[in-house]
Amino acid sequence: MRIEDIDVGHELGPLALTLSGEQVRQYSIAARMPGGRFMSDEDARKEGLPGQIVPGNLSMALFSRLISESLPGAVLKRLNATFRGLVRPGYALLIHGVVTEKHSSDHGDFVECDLVLENTEGDRWVTGTATVQLP
Amino acid sequence: MALELDRSIIGSEFDRTIFDPVTDAEVAEYAAASTEPQPDQTIASPTFVVRLRGRRFMPSNLPPDLGRAAFDAGKDIEWGAPIRVGDVLTAVSTVHDIYEKTGRSGSMRFLVLRTVITNQRSEQVAVIDQRMMFR
Repeated sequence: MRIEDIDVGHELGPLALTLSGEQVRQYSIAARMPGGRFMSDEDARKEGLPGQIVPGNLSMALFSRLISESLPGAVLKRLNATFRGLVRPGYALLIHGVVTEKHSSDHGDFVECDLVLENTEGDRWVTGTATVQLP
Repeated sequence: MALELDRSIIGSEFDRTIFDPVTDAEVAEYAAASTEPQPDQTIASPTFVVRLRGRRFMPSNLPPDLGRAAFDAGKDIEWGAPIRVGDVLTAVSTVHDIYEKTGRSGSMRFLVLRTVITNQRSEQVAVIDQRMMFR
């Protein structure tokens, strides 16, 4: 997708998915994040949490997937995320975004995006921004 | 009332780790677990960089008035050269910032840890700023 195909306000996604506890555990192993809070409800409760939680890094990976799927051929140059609430496996999630700015320079064509990961009640658990280079 | 945080450790390096060469197995494992698309099997998906955790996660000389119960408040990743199978990566972590914010739930202190990752050709692969929150 090229910059002339995109206007400010262009929507990304949504990705709708529910992470399982096993998916979160497998991600934590692959990402070398061995904390008990990411492994099981039982281990997370020992750390004073209500149950197993999703690592912030996995939320960022879902933002990256959203951009890859919504802007084919784009390259992620910068991603910022703020972890506002605990993301838990077993909850339906919506991940979506919007293009807020487009700019071109000698380095290429870029768009800026606002990103959100929220539950079905609209609680924004992770928010973010991204700079994406277009082909 | 805001505490006067000791900012003297800003800029200090607390970890430098050289990783074993990146393998196709770990690149594939991470892509599968993160669900990020991986169009080229010899290039790591973007958030693979979060997997590159050094030997020491936190500086040992944190100011005692920083508080306790650190958790991950957010992250900013800026990408440079792609990570390819066979790359030998070095991660250098420093204390980038310490600051205090007062919100509805009281005073919070933030520690920003910066990790700069380079490859064997001295190309910058990523800069990761991790914001840890203390109360």
